[in-house]
Amino acid sequence: MRRFADVFARRAMRVSAAVPGLIVLVILLALVGKSRTILGLKSFAGLLFGSSWHPLRGDFGFGPFLSGTLWVTLAAMVLAVPISILTAIYLSEYAPRRVRELAKPMIDLLAGIPSVVYGVWGVLIVVPFVGNVLAPAFGATSSGYSVLAAGIVLAVMVFPTIIHVSLEVFAAVPQSLREASLALGATNWETVRHVVLRKGLQGIIAAVVLGLSRAFGETMAVLMVVGNVARAPKSLFDPGATLPSLLANNYGEMLSIPLYDSALMLAALVLFGVVLVFNIAARIILVRVERRSE
Amino acid sequence: MKLNGKAATIVFLGALLAGFGFAGQTAPKPLSGTVTLSGAWALYPMAVRWAEEFKKDHPGVRIDVQAGGAGKGMADALMGMADFGMVSREINPEEVKRGALAFAVVKDGVVATVSARNPLLSEIMKRGIPRARFIEIWITGSVKTWGQALGGNPSKAAIHVFTRSDACGAAETWAAYLGKRQEDLGGVGVYGDPGLEDAVRRDPLAIGFNNINFAYDPKTLKPVAGIAVVPIDLDGSGLVEPSESVYATRDDITGAILRKVYPSPPARDLYLVSKGRPARPAAAAFLRWILTEGQRFTAESGYIPVGPEQLEKGLSILK
Repeated sequence: MRRFADVFARRAMRVSAAVPGLIVLVILLALVGKSRTILGLKSFAGLLFGSSWHPLRGDFGFGPFLSGTLWVTLAAMVLAVPISILTAIYLSEYAPRRVRELAKPMIDLLAGIPSVVYGVWGVLIVVPFVGNVLAPAFGATSSGYSVLAAGIVLAVMVFPTIIHVSLEVFAAVPQSLREASLALGATNWETVRHVVLRKGLQGIIAAVVLGLSRAFGETMAVLMVVGNVARAPKSLFDPGATLPSLLANNYGEMLSIPLYDSALMLAALVLFGVVLVFNIAARIILVRVERRSE
Repeated sequence: MKLNGKAATIVFLGALLAGFGFAGQTAPKPLSGTVTLSGAWALYPMAVRWAEEFKKDHPGVRIDVQAGGAGKGMADALMGMADFGMVSREINPEEVKRGALAFAVVKDGVVATVSARNPLLSEIMKRGIPRARFIEIWITGSVKTWGQALGGNPSKAAIHVFTRSDACGAAETWAAYLGKRQEDLGGVGVYGDPGLEDAVRRDPLAIGFNNINFAYDPKTLKPVAGIAVVPIDLDGSGLVEPSESVYATRDDITGAILRKVYPSPPARDLYLVSKGRPARPAAAAFLRWILTEGQRFTAESGYIPVGPEQLEKGLSILK
């Protein structure tokens, strides 16, 4: 009887463990299946880089959305990466233990805030700030709903991801290396620069890539501040639209126009593919880092 | 799996109810179950009111109302995620082909809005904006300053044009008034009726549009604090005549829609859409109630009742 329970438990757990993996596969297959309709009629490159989005006229160019996604993601990363990594270095190498123990849960808390809350904060604070302060300061006019506003909101949203992973990477750098460096007379900063950062470089790249994929796929917060104009932005103060916002805004129209649902599914597939590749790449790097430090 | 189980329970309950109906001529069994509505912001306040009133008579019924734009309502109804989609635009032929059955339940309208802090507010109120000028603002983009919008005013202040980002009835209806579709409307897209209203309120140079029940405060019946409703210069005279001045209170504008002074579009019918005839007894009863007793609550909620022939048509489908 006990043996039976053991075998049963093992089987049940194996099946449940397979479920998440299978779900990814099922989603992927469903997206591919749905996108085939439009891919049978138009070339993939033409859809991906086409600059005109007018579903009623049969134009399904993702160009403006791809470009908007890249602008927003890039703006977010330029803001988030230096701040996050400096924060992680401070917490890991300089801060007293108590500060670190206090800061860590606070940062993780940031990760748990629902994205619509970030969106509301963006609309109330960031959008007016960009429209009334930043844009005039740079001699531009902007309503505030812009790729920059989305970038700022996103940057705050990816802080926890990058900081958290970087902290783990720094923790994996052997203490003996730091001690050796300090014993040779290196200052704290020299140790950070030549030992900790060099040893952790790959891990930091992985942290950034993870943050990148989070930024790339973020929907609600971006949708609320980005301005949703289906035209490639020319400056940071222009409104834009992203692939996730395209999906969230138009999911409802997909039954009213032929080919629309297929086009949206293709957009979802592109998004899914990019995020999947980012994530797998980051994981591979992280696993390598961990193995080496053992 | 879960859905199948639910469906089976419903079928079973339905059969049970039908059985009781035939067996004895006793009092009808009290209705129970959940009715879900999803879709247009325009219908949301009305649907919530109806749900409250209906529940007074049928405490066993739960009614879930979610707002998310007409497009989402349509998609949810057609995919079986909701009993009724709330749809605030005309139904596309493609959707009818997929089984969309629309019941006109009430009317309302879309109005153009500006910030109450607009530097030319008094001028806008005095002169109004004709339809042709709206087209140049939203569709062609050839009118770029408030001076141009008012025809010959020297102001060089740029117009900040706003529209809705989500697939929705308000934008579709406003675009229909301008002879186009939602995807042709220019301007910065903001999510949801409340979002658009907020964006217009906070930007003195903004112009946008809202459903009547988001543009007017349900308590004071005046335009929501911080925004002003733009009079449409219907005859293009460059002046808002007393007959065109129908925007002071919510009752004024709904009255104007009823008298057909305010054009349609931007006034429009609002629909509840189900996939085929509503099968569940609670859903069918709720709809029947809306088409009869529910109409009593339309005026006080800021809507315009639909004509008796449309109500009749809906009821005949339900029979």
